[in-house]
Amino acid sequence: MLTWKGVQRGGRRLSPIAVFTIPFGVAFGVAAIESGMTSIQAILTSLLAFSGAAQFAMLDFWHTPLAFGSLAMVVLALNARHIIMGAALSPWINRLPPSRRILSLSYLSDPNFADSQPAFQNGERDIGLLLGGGLVLWMCWATGTAIGALGGEVIGDPASFGIDVVMPCFFAAVVAGKLDGVKALAPILVASTVAVALLNIVPTGWNVVLAALAGGCVGTFSHDK
Amino acid sequence: MTSDVAAFAAIGMVAAITFASRMAGTILMSRIEVSPRIERFLDALSVSVIAALVASIVAQNGPREGVAVVVAATVMLGSRSAVWAMIGGMAFAAAWTLMTSA
Repeated sequence: MLTWKGVQRGGRRLSPIAVFTIPFGVAFGVAAIESGMTSIQAILTSLLAFSGAAQFAMLDFWHTPLAFGSLAMVVLALNARHIIMGAALSPWINRLPPSRRILSLSYLSDPNFADSQPAFQNGERDIGLLLGGGLVLWMCWATGTAIGALGGEVIGDPASFGIDVVMPCFFAAVVAGKLDGVKALAPILVASTVAVALLNIVPTGWNVVLAALAGGCVGTFSHDK
Repeated sequence: MTSDVAAFAAIGMVAAITFASRMAGTILMSRIEVSPRIERFLDALSVSVIAALVASIVAQNGPREGVAVVVAATVMLGSRSAVWAMIGGMAFAAAWTLMTSA
């Protein structure tokens, strides 16, 4: 099911994390203008192609003539983990009618996946949680972009407040929250090792996808023994 | 960017790829019958994709991020609160920056 109540609950759950995406949205807005985007284009990018890392990578290609092919490959690589996250959510999402599936996945990103998947695993049935979390992240990100693009300056260095580590710390907490015994460690260790080992071998983004698949296989087979 | 048309086309293309990546996983899985084994695979996949993200971020940064992540995981194991874990990691990283820049 997908209810408005669930959307609100998801929004509230993720707002303490989403506010920290505002400074990064501002940074994207400023960087986009420096790269030659107009402010409309920068804001439109955040609204329509909400995807953090892929948006920054996009700016590296912002020259004339635009290399559409290379741009597509990089964006695909940096967004490929969405495919993994969508697959992982499919047991719950695929019970919804198609139009609601599309709606609930449209704002899928790392933080709301990390928040919702364990909740669904623990019996939560309202997909609104995923959508609400995504909407709040998207709004904060786009608001930040607008501030940055419409003449904002980057205010201070996020590193001095520790804001730059919010996302990895939140993700590490989610991983730790899923630890329920020694057996649960195997996929985590394998995935981390593969991700780091492949970092300089495959294009960034694909290393995360391959690492997730490796961890998934280990998790499946270690349970079978 | 000289051509506005090309710019908007590029934004449209990036938006389309991003949208497709969000939809692809569930479409793929709708063709597969979810057995208990597939369910275990998907669960291991979930924790693995997040762990892989953390590992990549730490490897691309350094000890400051590495220790902050360990602090967050430890706080989580003790408090079971992701928000406190995040605050713990942030406080550590801010203190590190303050100490090393002084």
